[in-house]
Amino acid sequence: MMLKTRNICKSYGSLEVLKNVTIECHKGKIYGLIGANGTGKTTLFRILLGLIKQDSGSIEIDSHGIKPIGGIVEKPALYGYLSAYENLKVFAQIQGLKLTKELFQQCMRQVGLSPARTDAVNNYSLGMKQRLGLAVALLNNPACIVLDEPFSGLDPMGIFALHELIKDLSSKKQITVIISSHIVSELTDLCDTLYVLNKGEIIKSGAAAQLLEESVTTYKIVGKNLESSEVMKKVKAVVLDKSALVSSKNIEITRVLKELIEEGVEVTSCVPQTDLKTLFGPE
Amino acid sequence: MISLISAEIYKIRKQSKTLYALAAILIIEGFVIVSAYYQGAGIIDLLLDNLKDSFEFKGNLLNGNLIIYLILNSLWFHIPLILMIIISGFLTSEYKDKTIETVMLQPVSKLNFILSKYVVSIAFTIFIVLLLAVSTFLVSYWIFGRGDLVVYLDGLNFFKSDDAFNRLILAFLSGVNSMVFFSVVSLTLAVILKDATKTWIVSAIFLICSNLLLKIDFQNEILNELFFSKLTDSWQYFFYYKIPYATIYFKNLLLLSYTILVMLIGVIIFKRRDIQG
Repeated sequence: MMLKTRNICKSYGSLEVLKNVTIECHKGKIYGLIGANGTGKTTLFRILLGLIKQDSGSIEIDSHGIKPIGGIVEKPALYGYLSAYENLKVFAQIQGLKLTKELFQQCMRQVGLSPARTDAVNNYSLGMKQRLGLAVALLNNPACIVLDEPFSGLDPMGIFALHELIKDLSSKKQITVIISSHIVSELTDLCDTLYVLNKGEIIKSGAAAQLLEESVTTYKIVGKNLESSEVMKKVKAVVLDKSALVSSKNIEITRVLKELIEEGVEVTSCVPQTDLKTLFGPE
Repeated sequence: MISLISAEIYKIRKQSKTLYALAAILIIEGFVIVSAYYQGAGIIDLLLDNLKDSFEFKGNLLNGNLIIYLILNSLWFHIPLILMIIISGFLTSEYKDKTIETVMLQPVSKLNFILSKYVVSIAFTIFIVLLLAVSTFLVSYWIFGRGDLVVYLDGLNFFKSDDAFNRLILAFLSGVNSMVFFSVVSLTLAVILKDATKTWIVSAIFLICSNLLLKIDFQNEILNELFFSKLTDSWQYFFYYKIPYATIYFKNLLLLSYTILVMLIGVIIFKRRDIQG
């Protein structure tokens, strides 16, 4: 076990933000913490990173390195008036690490940034700042990194690039990664395990694929001639323009697809639709 | 700790507001020199008008020593105000930009971090006052030359040129202690308030109240002797005809104790609080 929290509780006045949160994370795996806004994800991350103290409960990290855990909370906070090199130099220096030219280039390449840029970080795009923030988080080789809403504000290419980077860190460097998001699609193909946080409590946990499958309530089928299909009428599908929504209740999607093909309907895609209310729990 | 201090100095060197601070100090200095150059003779004449009937004045009283004394008086308000704004910014900017979170996400202790801020703030204050002193001496002597110093402090006091030079140097050195006190107060206010604007306002109010309270008689001997606001003027005591060294030592030591106490309060508050930008 790389990281384990046990019964973490945190309140602000009379507001209970976290209630007995217990999570377990293994080496080299990617964990997703999912939940609507204001459910306590950032508070839990701040506690994991030691920025705030929990009222009760414990955190165990199985790492004996100088920096057991690194991370980014919300947006990457960097010195905007300094260049990437100068930022890394300052953050390396405060933890007793000497930033050589080789180490700088290695840090930058690891996160997919060009070491050649010498201008102030204020000029960087959000995606580049995220990457530089990640480079800072990875200084001194932490065994675990925590990323709070890392995809927020990134364009699709930025999201894809960050996905690849996180996968690389997990598979090649065996770093445990914990990511939070309120957007399900960002975590579906990235995380091994998901924890669902609702009103400060972990209400569900398990393999990401299984949890998401359990929360699928409809399938969106795209194809030609769906409006005239007898199969669609039989399963009481809501037929839209070139697509149809089929409820997952009491049907077997593979059987429906097979029947559609036998009927002569040209199906081009079938996408499971996750029901957020089912996944996130009651509001 | 040393690496934290080095990093702090590096950040200060790279920040444009450090240049603004230096510029502000030099502008005040330049302003006093230009004013003295054009209006100084008239003011001296007005000040000594009555005495001229009874005494004969030889030489030029509008000289470098008088200009240095005038600039020294910026230690009452202008210099501490600039220092308080700049130094509180060392911490409030970290809260505003949330870089304090990134720093505390590294293997850095809260105690060492805040102590390094205090150490660098004190060093910066000493540097600024010494820069003011050195530049003032050089420019004033270069433009106005040396001469005897006339000062109005509970009456007119005259000092020979060499004596004035020594007194001015000692006054600047004693003034460093007062400036360090105000700087440490502003950093502690930044720890408490976190927000730049609130810290500036409260720092300015603190400075104004401190200067007002200095002049008020509390009708209580202990308060009049020991209250912090009564201790920030020791640098002025070098311009009494007979320098009251015992009083100056006492005031400086007690003010240093207040500085350490304020710093301790800041450290304790910072250590106990959660880090949230």
